[in-house]
Amino acid sequence: MVRVESPPTKRDIPVVRAALLPVVLMAGATAAGAVPVTGAARAAVVVCGAVATAVVATLAVVLNRRRRAMRVQRAEYERRIAALEHRIATYDQETERLSKELLPAAIRRLRASNSPQEVMRDIVDADASYRNLPKAQRALVLQVLDIIDNEEAMRDSAQRAFVSVARRVQAIVHRQASELREMEDHHGRNPDVFDDLLRIDHGTALIGRLADSIAVLGGARPSRQWPKAVPLFSVLRGAMSRILEYQRVDLHSIAKVAIVGTAVEPLIHACAELLDNATRYSPPQTRVHVTAVEVQTGIAIEIEDGGVSLSEEARVRAENMLAQAQAGINMNDLGESPRLGMAVVGRLARMYQLQVSLRQSAYGGVRAVLIVPRDMITTGPAPGIAHGIGATSRPQSSLDMSQMQHVVPPRGKHKARPAATGPVPSLATPVPAPAPAASAARPAPAASAAMGDDEIVVTEWTEGGLPQRRSRGRAPLGSHNLPQQSAPAAEPAARNGHNGHGGGATAPPGLWLEAFTQAVNGVPKDPGNDTDSDDAWDKGDEK
Amino acid sequence: MSPPRRERRKADPAVSDPERLYVITGAPDGERAALDLVTMVVAQAEPSPTVQPEQAAILRLCKAPLSVAEISAYLSLPFSVVTSLLTELLATELIESRAPIVRAALPDRSLLEAVMHGLQKL
Repeated sequence: MVRVESPPTKRDIPVVRAALLPVVLMAGATAAGAVPVTGAARAAVVVCGAVATAVVATLAVVLNRRRRAMRVQRAEYERRIAALEHRIATYDQETERLSKELLPAAIRRLRASNSPQEVMRDIVDADASYRNLPKAQRALVLQVLDIIDNEEAMRDSAQRAFVSVARRVQAIVHRQASELREMEDHHGRNPDVFDDLLRIDHGTALIGRLADSIAVLGGARPSRQWPKAVPLFSVLRGAMSRILEYQRVDLHSIAKVAIVGTAVEPLIHACAELLDNATRYSPPQTRVHVTAVEVQTGIAIEIEDGGVSLSEEARVRAENMLAQAQAGINMNDLGESPRLGMAVVGRLARMYQLQVSLRQSAYGGVRAVLIVPRDMITTGPAPGIAHGIGATSRPQSSLDMSQMQHVVPPRGKHKARPAATGPVPSLATPVPAPAPAASAARPAPAASAAMGDDEIVVTEWTEGGLPQRRSRGRAPLGSHNLPQQSAPAAEPAARNGHNGHGGGATAPPGLWLEAFTQAVNGVPKDPGNDTDSDDAWDKGDEK
Repeated sequence: MSPPRRERRKADPAVSDPERLYVITGAPDGERAALDLVTMVVAQAEPSPTVQPEQAAILRLCKAPLSVAEISAYLSLPFSVVTSLLTELLATELIESRAPIVRAALPDRSLLEAVMHGLQKL
């Protein structure tokens, strides 16, 4: 029926007005019908007319009201539909906003190791536009966050398990490697054992790289730490030593820089993976060329192979893999037959800001360029031994060389030896007191003092040209043969004296026997023979 | 329980380096020249920039004759590594080695002493 709130006064008048016409017409018709009729019939006509008029009036009023009520209801209906549509649109908008803004923000927050409750507090409640989120939506968001949190926790624990297993393998491999190195030192004199040890060592290094790869894919940083800077050459050799076919790798013109300790391990690993790819996907008889040049942004390490050219599609795929890995790879994405290399390189590149690109090589194969940022490079002294090897322990002061030149008698007459030219002053300059040191009277304490804390101090030289080492604490045992060389002026003479085996009394023990043997056998003096005094034989016997 | 260990020269962790010995040596099955610990080695040429750093170091060291044992000690590389490096250098004639006399080529020491005593008694 008509609503109460509809304005009655305004509506009532039209009702009366609309009802008026049929009522008047009916009344008129009744009147017109009553006029010609006479007597009792008139009264009946009038009554019937009056009744009909009343009925018409009632009907008119009722119909009119009905119609008006309907109109009002339709309007109401339309308004409600509009309201509902608006509400639906708002919901849509809200859902969209939820999925496009709120949830991503919340998940980001969640990934930053916040609990779902914290995320709700920080993201939803802190934002005025989200604060009066409907309860259902709130519950939905919380539910989603909870599920994601659980999944993340599971993935994390899976990765942690991965990493911890890899770490254990790494630890074993590392220990094994250092033990192998000791064994290699120990069995160095037995080539057969040594070669076998090298083979085991190589296998161990391959296992180590695999463990490193697993750890890196598990999101961990490389475990091995290098306390000091290591020369780039050593780093690249380290990378070589971790791949199967290291013999096919050629290092050319490697920039003489060192890599800071923290970046050594990742660089070795990344280079090893790239070298592994290069050697694996090129024919076995081809070589892999490695160069490292300085560029504006750091050092560009180029690894070129002569293998089959990477098709454009394959190149794109590899680059994709790199990019994916840089964006953070999932273990699932590694696929059925995991080709870990690129993923590992991508990971490392992301962690350490290395730039990697794959291009067509001039040799027809692939050229991988790895750019090492400048802050990983140091040009300072690299204590890591490197090309090293032994750069620290060789007789680095020219004092030694000059001494050798002059103590070792120039016996080889068949060959002009540069060493026989005598002490060169320029060589001796780094030594505090070159002149006395270079002179024949070579007091052992002075020599050892000049050499600082160098461990291997060659203090004495036998006549046979063999050095005698001894610890610095003891008195020079060989001082008995010093007088022979004590006169600097008589140096050439002294040298001649050496040749002639002049002073039998001053000769080291053992030489007399040799001289005797030669005399007995009539063997002409062979330069090679002179080197073999008895103590040399004793050394040889230790073998 | 770890197995009993022999006393070995401990590698100094401060100077540990990433490269393994087989990278320096080359092929593990490579032929080795007959070199002894006391074989004397002399460089015949200046190190060229293309040789391996260790070989360059050997060439620098061996300007004056050095025994293989000494080279091994100075480079702190095991004897077998040094011999394979030297083998390569020998093959390219950058160094020359002087083989020690074979012991059997000389009469036995006791025999010599006997002869000496005999001579002294004359």
